[in-house]
Amino acid sequence: MSTATEHKVEDIASATGGKRVIIRSLGMKKIYRRGEEITHALRGVDVEIYTGEFIVVMGPSGSGKSTFFNMIGALDSPSEGRVFIDEVDVAQLTAEELAFLRCRKIGYIFQSYNLIQYMTALENVTTPMAFGGVTPDEARRRGMDLLELVGLKDRWFHRPIEMSGGQQQRVAIARALANEPSILLCDEPTANLDHRTGDEILEILQKLNKERGVTIICATHDHRMMNICDRLMWIRDGGIERIAQRDEVEVELGSIE
Amino acid sequence: MKKIDVQNQPVLSPGRIIQIAVTGVKYRLFRAVVTVAVIIVAMAFLMNILTESLIKRAIADSVREQIEDLHRVDRWIARLTMPQSGEELLFVLAEEEAPSPVLGEISTMSGLSIDALQALRPKAQEAVRYLNFFNEIDFGRRRVLVGPVQGVATFDRLSADPAWHQFTSNLADMRVLRFPEELSDFQDFLAEWSELQAKLETIREGQQRSIEQVRNAIGDRSLMSALSDADGDFGDIIRQAGFSLPDETAALLVRDVRRVKNTQLIESTINIAEVRQAVAAERDVLPGDVTMRMIWRLLRNQDRAEWFLGVMRDAELETGDLTAERLEAIANQRAYARLLTIAEQQTMEAQGGLMGIGMRMTWLAFVSMLVCAVGIANAMLMSVTERFREIATLKCLGALDAFIMSIFLIEAGLLGFVGGLGGAIAGLLLAGLRMAVIFQSLLWTAFPWQDILVAGLISIGIGVLLAAISAVYPSFRAARLAPMEAMRIE
Repeated sequence: MSTATEHKVEDIASATGGKRVIIRSLGMKKIYRRGEEITHALRGVDVEIYTGEFIVVMGPSGSGKSTFFNMIGALDSPSEGRVFIDEVDVAQLTAEELAFLRCRKIGYIFQSYNLIQYMTALENVTTPMAFGGVTPDEARRRGMDLLELVGLKDRWFHRPIEMSGGQQQRVAIARALANEPSILLCDEPTANLDHRTGDEILEILQKLNKERGVTIICATHDHRMMNICDRLMWIRDGGIERIAQRDEVEVELGSIE
Repeated sequence: MKKIDVQNQPVLSPGRIIQIAVTGVKYRLFRAVVTVAVIIVAMAFLMNILTESLIKRAIADSVREQIEDLHRVDRWIARLTMPQSGEELLFVLAEEEAPSPVLGEISTMSGLSIDALQALRPKAQEAVRYLNFFNEIDFGRRRVLVGPVQGVATFDRLSADPAWHQFTSNLADMRVLRFPEELSDFQDFLAEWSELQAKLETIREGQQRSIEQVRNAIGDRSLMSALSDADGDFGDIIRQAGFSLPDETAALLVRDVRRVKNTQLIESTINIAEVRQAVAAERDVLPGDVTMRMIWRLLRNQDRAEWFLGVMRDAELETGDLTAERLEAIANQRAYARLLTIAEQQTMEAQGGLMGIGMRMTWLAFVSMLVCAVGIANAMLMSVTERFREIATLKCLGALDAFIMSIFLIEAGLLGFVGGLGGAIAGLLLAGLRMAVIFQSLLWTAFPWQDILVAGLISIGIGVLLAAISAVYPSFRAARLAPMEAMRIE
C-alpha cells in the first residue's frame, strides 16, 4: 500500500468520529462487456461500513446489488475505483493473499446455503479451518463448538441432504464463522426458509453481531431484518440511492403501516 | 476486533487433499464408474494386444528349434536335390563367420578357400541389404521399379543401363519410399556384381557336382529310402560328396525318415475301403465322411491303435514295423507337430514395433488411447461443470487454485489407476484365453510371466498418465473459475 493512500485512510478514519471503517469503497465501478454490449453494473459507489455494524442492503434484482457484494467480499475486482477491506487495497493482493483474506477475514452465507454435498456437517465446518492451516484435532474441537452455537451439535455427522433448509443454513453460518471472521457477508440468508426458521437464523445473526461484534452485511427483502439492523442501504441502477439509520426508517415504516 | 495482516494462504497437506478428492469421487460414484469403464476398455485393448504379442514372441522363441527339427527331412531332401539359389547363398555368406561347418562344406564343394569365402562377406552383406529392400516393398512398387524379376535376378537386370534409368527415375517419383543406402554405392555394387555372381556360380556348380555324385550312388532307389540308411553307407556317401553330416544329425535323420514313412503308410490307408468302413462303424459315421483327422485321433489311444493295426492286417495291408505303441507315439507326435505348425503360422508376424505388436497394432492402440483420452476429458469437463458452485464455494472458503486443480487431477488419476488395473486384468484374461485356445499345451511351456507383468504395469501407468493428461484442461478450467459464481442464484 502506498503512503499516500495510507495517509488518506487515516484522515478519513479521524473524520468519522472514532468509528473504525472496515470496508471502504472509493468510486467503485464495474463494467461488464459481452461482445459489443456494455453493461454498467456499478456506476461509482462510495461507501463506508464500520466495524461491528449490522447493515442491510436492499434493492430490486438487476440493481447491481450482487456486483456490490462481490466487490466488497473480495470475490471480484472493480473496473475502476478501489475497495479497502480492513484498510487493505484488495486490488493489490495476490491470489494467495486473496485466498487468505477470504478464508479468515470474511465469512460468506448464501441464499442456497452452498454446502459441500458429500461432506458431513462437521466436515463442512472444518474445511475452511483446514484451508487456514488449523490442525485436524483443533479443527474438530472448534467445529463442534460452532455447531453447538447454531444448535446442531448432535447432528454433526449428517450430510446436507439429510437436513432441512434451516438446519443447512445454520451449518452454513457455522462454516462462515470457522476462522472467526470480522465480516459476515449474507446474501438473502432467509429467502429460502419458512417464517419460523428465518426467525431462528435472524436470532443467530443478531447474537453474533451483539456478542461477538461481527460486522454483518446482509442483502435481503425480509422486513424483519430491518428491526435488528443498524443501518439500511438501497441500491438502484448501479448506484446508492439512499443510506439511512434504522430509527429514521422505522418512523417511515410506522407511517406507512 | 482483531486485525489480520494479510499473508499467503498455507498449502494443504497432500493427505488431506487426497481425502477430499476421494470423498468427492465416492459421492459421484456412478459417473466415476462410467469413466472407469471407458478406461478399462481402452486399457484392456492395449493389454490384450501386448499380452498376445508377448506370448507369441515367447512361444516363437521357444519352438523355433523344434520347428527346424520338424523340417529336417524336407531340408535334407532339398539339399540333396538342388544347389542353393543365389539369394540363399548370399544370406549364408553374409551370416556365417569362419570357422563354421557351413562354410567348410561350401569350401570343399566349390574348391574356394575359406579365406576367399570370408572375403566375400562384406559384399554379401551389402547385397543382403539391397535384397531386403526389394523383398519388403509391395509387389506393385517392385514391378514399377525393377519389373517382374526377383531375388538376385534384380541385380542382373539393374546392371543394364535402361533398367537402371527406369529404377532411379521411378524411385525419385515415389516420395514415401526411401532407398536405405546411397544410390551411388548401389551403382558401384552393380558394377562389381558380375564378379560376385561368378563366385556364386562356382559355388553352385560345386554343389551340383556333389549332388550328382550322391545321385549316382543312390541308383534307382528313392532319396527317401536312401536316407533311411543315413547312419550307414549312405551317410558315408553323402560325406564323401562334401556335405557335412555329423553322426547325431544322421541318427536323427534316420529316425525322422522312419516316422515319415510310417506316416505315409498310415495316411495311405484312408483310401482302402475296408479301413474306411471299419473306422466309420467305430465312429458311427458314413464311410464317405471318414477323414484322416478322425483316424489320427483314434490312434492317440493305444487300445484303438491296436484295433486299427488289426483292421490293417484284416485288409491284408503291409504293416511294416508298426506296433500299437509306435502308432500311438506317431499320432501324438503328429498332434504336437500340428500344434508347432500352428504356432509357426501364428507367430510369423509377431515381430517388430513396440514390444513386438507391429506397426499396425501400435497405430490402432494409439488411436484407442486417443479415443479414451477424449472420453476422460469429456467426463472430467462434465464433472467440473456440475461442480461449478462447489468449486466456487471452496474458493470462497479460501481454497487455492492449486488445491482445486489437484483435486481434479487426483480424481482423474484415481480413475485412471482403477481403470488401468481393471483393463490390465481384463486384457490379460482375454488374451490368455485366446492364446490358450490357439496354442493349447504350448502356452504353458513358454508363458512370459515377467514380460506380461511389465506390460500390466505399463498399462496401468498409461491409464493413470492418460487420465491425468486429459484432466489437465478441465481442472485448469475449474481452478480458474471465479469465486463469485457461488453467489449466482439458480
